[in-house]
Amino acid sequence: MTAARTTSRPPEADTAASLRRPRIPTSRIAGCSAVLFMLAFGVYSLTTLDFSWSNVAASTQNAVKVFSLMDPVSLPAPPDLAYLIGLTLGIVILGTVVAALISIPVSYVSAANTTPAGWLRVLGRAIGVITRAVPDVVLALAFSLAFALGSSLPGILAIGIHSIGMISKLFADAIEQIDHGPQLAVRAAGGSKAQEFWSAVFPQVLPSWIATVLHRFDINLRGSAILGYAGVGGLGYAMKVAFAQFPEGYGRGLGIAAVIFVLCVVLEIISSMIRSNLLGVDAVGNGLGGRILRAAGKRPPVRGQPPGGHVAALGVEAALRRPWTRARVRNLSWAWTAVAIVVAGYWMADVDFGQISWNYVVPTLQSFWPPNFGSHSLDEFAQALLVTVEVAFASAVLSLVLSLLVGSLAARNVAPNNAVRTTFRTILVIFRGVPELVLAIFLIMVTGLGNQAGVVALAFGGVGLLGKLVADSFEELPPGPERALSAAGATRSQRYLAATWPRGLPSLIGNSLYLVDTNIRAATVLGIVGGSGVGFYLTNASTVLTLHGQVTTLVIMVFGTVLVVEGIAAWMRRVFR
Amino acid sequence: MSSPKPTPIISVSRVTKDFGSTRALRAVDLTVEQGEVVVLLGRSGSGKSTLLRHLDGLERPSAGVVEVLGEDVATLRPAALRALRGRVGMIFQRFELVPSLTVLENVLTGALSRLRGPRLGLWAYPRSLKLLAITHLERVGLLEKTYQRADQLSGGEQQRVAIARALMQDPRILLADEPVASLDPESSDQVMRLIREIAADDGLTVVCSLHQVDLALGWGDRIVGLRHGEVVLDTTTDGLGRAEVMEIYGRVAASTAELTAIETELGAIDVGDGVSVGTAARGGRR
Repeated sequence: MTAARTTSRPPEADTAASLRRPRIPTSRIAGCSAVLFMLAFGVYSLTTLDFSWSNVAASTQNAVKVFSLMDPVSLPAPPDLAYLIGLTLGIVILGTVVAALISIPVSYVSAANTTPAGWLRVLGRAIGVITRAVPDVVLALAFSLAFALGSSLPGILAIGIHSIGMISKLFADAIEQIDHGPQLAVRAAGGSKAQEFWSAVFPQVLPSWIATVLHRFDINLRGSAILGYAGVGGLGYAMKVAFAQFPEGYGRGLGIAAVIFVLCVVLEIISSMIRSNLLGVDAVGNGLGGRILRAAGKRPPVRGQPPGGHVAALGVEAALRRPWTRARVRNLSWAWTAVAIVVAGYWMADVDFGQISWNYVVPTLQSFWPPNFGSHSLDEFAQALLVTVEVAFASAVLSLVLSLLVGSLAARNVAPNNAVRTTFRTILVIFRGVPELVLAIFLIMVTGLGNQAGVVALAFGGVGLLGKLVADSFEELPPGPERALSAAGATRSQRYLAATWPRGLPSLIGNSLYLVDTNIRAATVLGIVGGSGVGFYLTNASTVLTLHGQVTTLVIMVFGTVLVVEGIAAWMRRVFR
Repeated sequence: MSSPKPTPIISVSRVTKDFGSTRALRAVDLTVEQGEVVVLLGRSGSGKSTLLRHLDGLERPSAGVVEVLGEDVATLRPAALRALRGRVGMIFQRFELVPSLTVLENVLTGALSRLRGPRLGLWAYPRSLKLLAITHLERVGLLEKTYQRADQLSGGEQQRVAIARALMQDPRILLADEPVASLDPESSDQVMRLIREIAADDGLTVVCSLHQVDLALGWGDRIVGLRHGEVVLDTTTDGLGRAEVMEIYGRVAASTAELTAIETELGAIDVGDGVSVGTAARGGRR
């Protein structure tokens, strides 16, 4: 920057005396102060949350003790295990399908080019924002009142409602990006709005809709473990029950945790495979599955010359019979497979609508309004929110430090050689592969309830996310400046500090704030498991009908905080562009 | 019907259209009789597309009246407007087929105005309509492509599918917005001839916008020239030469030598040799 300014000056002014440092713009000063403040807050959070190395060391001893006391790692008997896996999958499949179907009308009214009216568009976007803001665990806890104990419906509904937000947003965005021509053609031919959508819009966005739904399925499967903690049947619940017994249940608990981990990875591989092969969409997942798939399938995508539907020139009548081309067989079998999976999901999830206590449904819904503080005060809730935010910041700072190290070494243009890069990339993948909840529960069992478990669990997950983003953003930098420096004889570390770092900093700040953002949501949910921060009050309030007003209050507070962080992130991106 | 003077099928009077501060049409008058094949000629931005869109009720005039098939487009209620659009077929420069659907499904969308409710997939259409659609595909010479994906067809083929889709509406009027501007000379020749044939066989009224003078001269019965949203020319093509069109157009035609050179380069083709008004005007300005 300095260089640019000096060269633009007239030559006569270019004397040493006139070379004053240009004034730094106020926005930049504010931005830097904000970054420093947030870093300081993160470090302060670490200390105030009782996070210390001595604690970690003590926990390690604790862990050793637990491991020596507990039974060997074991799995439930095969029939039980199959039942648990089926139940978990069934709940997640049905929940995701429910959300996918509801998302169609929601995105139809939310997308600018299909919405019938402006106010409907606002309504649709609002539904998306609200469903995303309420954690599925909270929904599951709240719904469990309206259903018989052990029913899978609360879980299905919780996943179904919470997932509407993401699916409908991505789907509406996809609708807004399509080619509007075919839609215009249908309109010009006298088609109605609904006909425009189903004939011209939906066929165009179908692949992206399927991809989004599969992606959401992966996310929901990871989250299903935590739903189990809220009492929804399946692997998560079995794990909770196992961990409740010390020490004899711990081996079983760990076994189930491993099953959840494997299940997540396997299904992510399958869903990435479908996304890339069937839809011609590249494996987009950042998770383990996507990576394995990309590594395994380094062959060119099979798009090829599809065998045309050759209708033998037999005339119009004969042309009515559609030939069984490979494409048709493939599409049809995928469609029937999808139907079969949904039916199987219905069967596996053991859905029984008789379990709904209908006279509880309306009161349950009504109980969320109006928001209130119940017997608590704003002050208490604010304190709890502060703890949750502190957990989010503390783990983000830990993640940041570790990510800088791991992420840098995982970047091609920083790592000294390919072996180092591969090693650190693999570490990142493993960090991302472990569901945070499995880690958190494990840590809770080792260190006991508390914020420390949450911080460490989130920090680990955060390294997986942020480390990858750091590595990717470094690799995306044009290599020019590094080359110039090495030509001038700079060492590797000099190049890193002088050329790579300054250019990677803006995206690092943006990504870190994104991490804080997701951490706040995750810390809320982990708090439900660990009984800390907002989660503590959420757990208490969700299970009692008359306290649901507090749930609304807490969700609004968390959502407001997330919005503030998002606002700061948007501002920072402008400042540090 | 037996009145001495036939009632016009399209009647545009004093139509002005503003998009924000831009005036796209200025007091346009246009009357088209049943069975006429009219070319709207003009450079891009001259208002051809806007005028065509008014004829299908896709735009409402800022001032003036558009009457199509005896109905005032601006006053129609949504259902009646859709019914009117159903009787007016339209094809586009970029074909506007749904790329991922089969050719047959694309053609069937032309029947939507006659059906209630949305349709998705082939099974959603009755057999009789499918049969009709295949008949139209045979007519445009694409029977063997019936079940291929639309995006696997060449540009010329896609435009023919779009014509079949318009025929599916059983239209009285066919509107074509630069139907061959994205096609190579051979395909555009084929498409233009097809439109002409269908117009003759079915007694269709055609309004087609083009920007190539030579293409227009060899093809239409009548040429309506637009410039800056105004009608600057309205004449039958009988005995009309390029030079005259250029003259009426108020532009200096390129020298004969230049035109010949361009023609040689593009090859001797009856119609659609690609010498556009724009090219000529650029030549003249030098």
